Amino acid sequence: MIQLIRLLLVGAVGFTLPLCAQTPSDAILMNAKQACFLLDYNYASFDHYWEGAVKRDNQTIAMVKRNSVMPMVAVGIFDNLNLYAGVPYITTESTMPNGGRFAGANGFQDLTVAVKYRWLNKQFEKGQLAGLATLGFSTPIANYLPDYMPYSIGLGATELAYRAVVQYKYNSGWYLRGAGTYLWRGYAEAERAYYYNDGSYYTSLMDVPSAITAEAVVGKWLFSNSLQVEASYFGAKSLSGDDIRAYSAPQPTNRVNLDRIGLFAHYFSPKFTGLGILAYYNRVVNGRNVAEMNTTGVGLTYFFNYRK
Amino acid sequence: MLHARTVLVFILFLLLFLLSCEKELPRYYDFQGYEFASVDPEGGTWKPILIENGAAISIPAPESTTSVPYLQEVEQLKDEMARMSESDVKAVTYWTQNPIIRWNEIALELIAKYNLIPGPNADGSYTLPNPANPNGPPVFPFSHPPYAVRALAYLSVAQYDGLISAWHHKFANYRPAPYIQDKSIQPLYADNVIPSYPSDGAVVATVSRRILTQMFPLEADYLEEREAEHLRCLLLSGANVQSDVDAGRVIGDVISSIALARAATDGMKDAQAPKPVSDSLAAAALDRFGWQWINQEVPQRPVGLTPLFGRVKMWSVDKVEDTRPAPPPAIGSPAYEADVAVLRDYAQNMTQERRRIANFWQDGLGTYTPPGHWNEFAKEFIVKYRLNPLRSARTFAYLNMAMMDGGISCWDTKYYYHYPRPIQTDRTLATIAGTPNFPSYTSGHSVFSAAGAEVLAYVFPEEAGVVRGWAEEAAISRVYGGIHWTFDATVGTEQGIDVARYTIDTARKDGAD
Repeated sequence: MIQLIRLLLVGAVGFTLPLCAQTPSDAILMNAKQACFLLDYNYASFDHYWEGAVKRDNQTIAMVKRNSVMPMVAVGIFDNLNLYAGVPYITTESTMPNGGRFAGANGFQDLTVAVKYRWLNKQFEKGQLAGLATLGFSTPIANYLPDYMPYSIGLGATELAYRAVVQYKYNSGWYLRGAGTYLWRGYAEAERAYYYNDGSYYTSLMDVPSAITAEAVVGKWLFSNSLQVEASYFGAKSLSGDDIRAYSAPQPTNRVNLDRIGLFAHYFSPKFTGLGILAYYNRVVNGRNVAEMNTTGVGLTYFFNYRK
Repeated sequence: MLHARTVLVFILFLLLFLLSCEKELPRYYDFQGYEFASVDPEGGTWKPILIENGAAISIPAPESTTSVPYLQEVEQLKDEMARMSESDVKAVTYWTQNPIIRWNEIALELIAKYNLIPGPNADGSYTLPNPANPNGPPVFPFSHPPYAVRALAYLSVAQYDGLISAWHHKFANYRPAPYIQDKSIQPLYADNVIPSYPSDGAVVATVSRRILTQMFPLEADYLEEREAEHLRCLLLSGANVQSDVDAGRVIGDVISSIALARAATDGMKDAQAPKPVSDSLAAAALDRFGWQWINQEVPQRPVGLTPLFGRVKMWSVDKVEDTRPAPPPAIGSPAYEADVAVLRDYAQNMTQERRRIANFWQDGLGTYTPPGHWNEFAKEFIVKYRLNPLRSARTFAYLNMAMMDGGISCWDTKYYYHYPRPIQTDRTLATIAGTPNFPSYTSGHSVFSAAGAEVLAYVFPEEAGVVRGWAEEAAISRVYGGIHWTFDATVGTEQGIDVARYTIDTARKDGAD
């Protein structure tokens, strides 16, 4: 169920943030009594990126590092409807030496609020089929500057995420999951009155391309459902946008496409009820106007009943 | 269950509402054609920049309004206008009867398009753009601020001289516009009673296409298309017949050739000096002052940007040295150390307001540059004060002449003193703006902006306080960005004001005041 948190967040932060938390009962919603806290930390870095379709490095920025901490809460409102909210705090900087000597950035990024609804839950002889739909809304809560790439901590645009998830879980513990998302994105606001995006724009508003994403996951529950492991592919494609111009900084109007692969594990303590730890790694393997980002993260989850 | 559905439906409606908030973002200045504040019948007697006077370019005498050829032209025009499509009307509305605005926007767009600094090759070397091989890589040109301001200056000066000539012939021949001759023609522009032979719009179209094609050779086809569309709109507006347009194009061609001949020999082609020359400038500064600017990029760029731009021929100043300020504080002196403390403080205590100012005026790579920013301000004042095309051209001409002279003076100062950037001498500093590839003292933004503001204050005295405030903000923005010393900005502002005085002295004597 809270697996969806992470699907939400993947889109919410312009694909650059890592996969986030996953929770024990993958395709089962928390019931109307339960809640969950998650605290996630991840470190991400890149020293190559795709300028248009051409992969390159750039000593002006050397290696860019990003640290993120995100608290998140998930609450079962109804048995088939959960609510999520979370906001990351992010810092970025370049390694020394670098040719640009730019200051990094830091601050709270976007608040994400989402509801997830289960529209299908069917038991078969060999397993269980679940279908879920998510509506997510995210928007910047602080005055960070999206037009300061690659150090910007976010895209700076309001985003609506429409997502469908289908999962089939075998009785053996194996499961397959697929998800597809449409991400509508609004405008980022720059601090300049003119910019070039395949032509002149006399405004500080930048149209951030909307996007579609697709995800495929294979996973398994091990050791009496105390350890969950999975491998995933995630792909995203902007529906409009321009390319990063030669030897130039990216900007929020860019068309961002990427293919990413990842590993994820979540362990639930048999000793301390409700407590779990998770770890993940993912890597962008191909893309357009995107960083070749490597992300490593760890997190803590805690489940409890918030009412009787 | 029911509750959950109700909540979902509510949220869906909310989201659909949000989705409907998409809007068109402005790609050009959206203004209505307007009635000019003045007609300036004496405009043909004003003193041009490049030619002796408005009569120096000759065109054939026009056919009289009662002649058969002219009446045929009017009939043809009526035919064309009757067949106008919706997109024709849109194009006519776009160009307006002050098309200098549009050509200035086209120039700014090309500047932004080509304002890309060549990156390093795989082996760490750099290749310079080459006009003999404009396709590169890297493509030619790299329209950095000196390149941009020079392109704008030649464009505006040629437009201005061409329009003085056009005004001379208009009022010498006095052939009214077709919609005045034939009341059945409904003009699409406001009724401005300026004679139509030769067409001022055609002068502007041809001048702009020719100058910009020289400056941006890879855009030749694009510019030809824009010119053709513009010339067609001159007819469709009901303001010109074909012979008006043809005569305007003659003037445009002649004055463009004169302007481009000056451009070919103004010294710009030698401005990007070879490494030995560049090294000798640095060595001279080290010898004279005990310091030299060193590029901090990785891999290091072997030569700064246009070390000899300071030797390019100025418009209104005879000797660039006359505008060179006193030396900056010596490295390590109390004044210098005090400024190091100021910059560290800005870097460590960045505020929203300083960040906003640093970004608003940054006008860095990929943009229309600081001179472009001041052209945008000029454009808005021109519309606000309803200037006619001749006065619009005059405004842009003196604005860009002053900024180009300012740029030349600034570059002379930069490579004479060869003063280090803050990140070179203080390794602890980080910036929020890109550090440019040329010495620090004085700040180009400061000189361009102060020079531009002085000309705008002269042309639009009601705006003097506003534009001078902007110039000071543009200057200090570079200090907030962490890439300039405070004295780069303050001395640069004084330098810009000083250089603009030469231009404004010329302007005051041209007969327009």
